[in-house]
Amino acid sequence: MTELIAKLDLQMTRFKIIAGGPLEITGFFRIADSTGRIIAREEPVFLCRCGESKNKPYCDGSHKRNGFSE
Amino acid sequence: MNDPRNRQYTNGEITVFWIPSKCIHATTCFRELIEVFNPGRRPWVNMEGGPSRRIAEVVNKCPTQAIIWKYNKDLTESERLSQREVAREEENPQTLTGPEEEAKPKQNRIKPSNIRIMKDGPIVVEGKFKILGKDGDELKPSIMTSFCRCGNSKNMPYCDGTHRKIGFTDDTL
Repeated sequence: MTELIAKLDLQMTRFKIIAGGPLEITGFFRIADSTGRIIAREEPVFLCRCGESKNKPYCDGSHKRNGFSE
Repeated sequence: MNDPRNRQYTNGEITVFWIPSKCIHATTCFRELIEVFNPGRRPWVNMEGGPSRRIAEVVNKCPTQAIIWKYNKDLTESERLSQREVAREEENPQTLTGPEEEAKPKQNRIKPSNIRIMKDGPIVVEGKFKILGKDGDELKPSIMTSFCRCGNSKNMPYCDGTHRKIGFTDDTL
């Protein structure tokens, strides 16, 4: 039972706010664009939070250049 | 304004109007007052969940006016009429629109969280998930939230609607 709970917990999607950087997503998830098309699932991804990535919605490291902070 | 999905909810003193086409999922309403605004429930607004003053305060924070409120004494005649229609509709559950959650049998398998990248807007998340804040602390759990993508929210890491004001665009989607 505890194993099952541990497994479920591991699968639960985790959003990690990286200070001054992107949003890291891990676990069991699907990402769709605004039209509903699935663009990513399950593999860990880093999404842009600074608004200036050239590869949106993904992070391209722009936050380091523009000094993004919150 | 005459979208058939529009709804209104009242506690006898004030009425909250819900205009889904204006919603950008800033999720301010239920982060502040889940007892009243709960997207996992049908109807999703429970006017008995808090005092009128508090409901009005949270409604005023909606960045897009997808929810607005009025004193019942200030309702127009047509608003009063549609209130009666809505009341009838909600007594009759099969006329309700929205996710068909309760009808499905419970499954043991965990469902993936759904993440949507809104065009020129936030990252909207629904499902079971955990959020770790920038200091490594676990943030308040929720069944739905939206994260800022424009970099300018005053309520980081969440969306507060600022992307609209600054004209944030998203050329790769």
